[in-house]
Amino acid sequence: MRGRRGRFALGAALVAVPLALALLGPLLAGEPGPRSPSFTVGGGHPLGSDFVGRDVVRQVLLGGRPVVLTALAATALAYLVALPVGLAAALTHRRGLEELLMRPLDVLLAVPSLLLILLVATVFSPGAVGLAALVALVNVPDAARLVRAAGAEAAARPAVEALRMQGESWARIAFGYVGRSALRTLVADAGTRLTGVLYLVATAAFLGVGVAPDAADWAVMVDRNRTGLFVQPWAVVVPAVLIVALTTGTNLLFDAALDSGGARDRDRPGPRRRRLRRTGPPGGRTARKRATAGRETPA
Amino acid sequence: MSGVRRFVARRLLLGAAQTVAVVLLIFALTEALPGDAAVALAGDQPDPARIEAIRAALRLDRPAHERFADWALGLLHGDLGTSLTSGRPVARYLADGFGPTLVPAALTVALLVPAGFGLGILAARHEGRTADRLISSVTLAVYAVPEFALGVLLVTVLALRLGWLPPTAVGHGTDLLADPSVLVLPVLVLLSRPVCSLARLVRAGMIDALASPYVAQARRYGLSGARVRYAHALPAALAPAAQQLARTVDWLLSGVIVVEALFVIPGLGTVLLDAVAERDVPVVQGLAVVFGVLTVVLNLGADLVAHRLAPRAGVAA
Repeated sequence: MRGRRGRFALGAALVAVPLALALLGPLLAGEPGPRSPSFTVGGGHPLGSDFVGRDVVRQVLLGGRPVVLTALAATALAYLVALPVGLAAALTHRRGLEELLMRPLDVLLAVPSLLLILLVATVFSPGAVGLAALVALVNVPDAARLVRAAGAEAAARPAVEALRMQGESWARIAFGYVGRSALRTLVADAGTRLTGVLYLVATAAFLGVGVAPDAADWAVMVDRNRTGLFVQPWAVVVPAVLIVALTTGTNLLFDAALDSGGARDRDRPGPRRRRLRRTGPPGGRTARKRATAGRETPA
Repeated sequence: MSGVRRFVARRLLLGAAQTVAVVLLIFALTEALPGDAAVALAGDQPDPARIEAIRAALRLDRPAHERFADWALGLLHGDLGTSLTSGRPVARYLADGFGPTLVPAALTVALLVPAGFGLGILAARHEGRTADRLISSVTLAVYAVPEFALGVLLVTVLALRLGWLPPTAVGHGTDLLADPSVLVLPVLVLLSRPVCSLARLVRAGMIDALASPYVAQARRYGLSGARVRYAHALPAALAPAAQQLARTVDWLLSGVIVVEALFVIPGLGTVLLDAVAERDVPVVQGLAVVFGVLTVVLNLGADLVAHRLAPRAGVAA
């Protein structure tokens, strides 16, 4: 209990700084000042200057937004594709359609994610949007499998059959009932997925995929300012620490939040069981009677 | 018995389909260029001679399916093509980069298993206590950190501030074993993520197994704690761990690429990044095929092992 709350607080504290910088930093950055020589320390720059003589503080203020926005967009985009595909596979009665939807994803799952991103980067030069789309694509197979697995249980319930017979539209059944039943699992998955997406987005940017060589981006800053690590470590250490805080914090925060969610879930069967006991026996008895009756007739 | 055989057959079939699909995907992604591929690939140096050379080398005047058939046939014979920029065979690139990649990667895998299992078992033995809380929190935190950020911070502290280790592998060429201190930081960074995920899986598997009825029964028989832990509980945690080990190949690959860039190791990751930067399509394709097929085969093996260890779990296919 104490551990979970501690992790939650730690995660929130870790995420707060990089997230605030990413969201508000660009508003505080102001106009670019005159350029200094590369990798100077001091001289009007509290954190020195970077590899082309820009103020590191300003670059840090600007550099969080692309990381966070690309990661959020990629996660959202992955679900935008994975949700309909996974729900369609969960709801269909045709085995062929399910195989058609899911098997190609199994294949995509076999290709290492960073390799896929680098392959595409060989022939195209994806921008930030392209990078988000690529990272989303890499995440679709796994997300769709999870949506299908989470939805399959809900799709088999009698309620879905009733909704079908009532003539409800597919979208209403899929998103309104099955999707909502699977929401808890999906939220849990979204947390871990966001962590993975942050990792991929930052790593791709570090390797120069989807970003300009002098972009204001924490991962690009780490890469480009590495040459000056001996003279001016701040231009590398500050963005690296911010990335560590962002990724670690996100993971701790989601883990703690879902842990408490799980505890609430574990509490829930109590009242429900009590309610079941109150209303259960009569229904159960008639059901049992019907079952035994059914078995007796042929005998 | 027939169930096992059917599972193996299905999984092998899936593996074969995945291999074919990976090869197809690699070709489609790298050759599906809009417009004139030769002009696009020439990129920053659009002089007509170079464009003509690329067109001839990739045989772009022929339809895509013929080129794919040629390339795939070449792959079957072990011919990976030749580089666009240097004219050297791709196989030579692979041979040159193999050693510097294998040494840190093999060391990582060798250390990963004892470290991951050790931490996982330690945490499970002390479930809920300080050791467990510490291990769980640290593994959870480090698990999410990109290798380059962790690596650059370790270099700053351990190599530049404290001067304990060399910051890069520059000047050691391809013989990394000559000076093992060069390898410490790369292996540490490569280990960081896989160890965390493996330790967490082993911990969860062990805790589940220790709470299970069959372990309680083993205790009732009066078996020693160590025997219950290692002979009865641990095997149950092995199946998910074996699969995670194969998944780690994916991570190890991206880790290798990043770590080689970070520590300037002239391995396969560096070859791949250079080829991507130079748009050297045949080299990228060749490396991608090797990496992709390796991943498929290892995942296949892990699923078969996991099925052998826990036949009821009905893993994958």
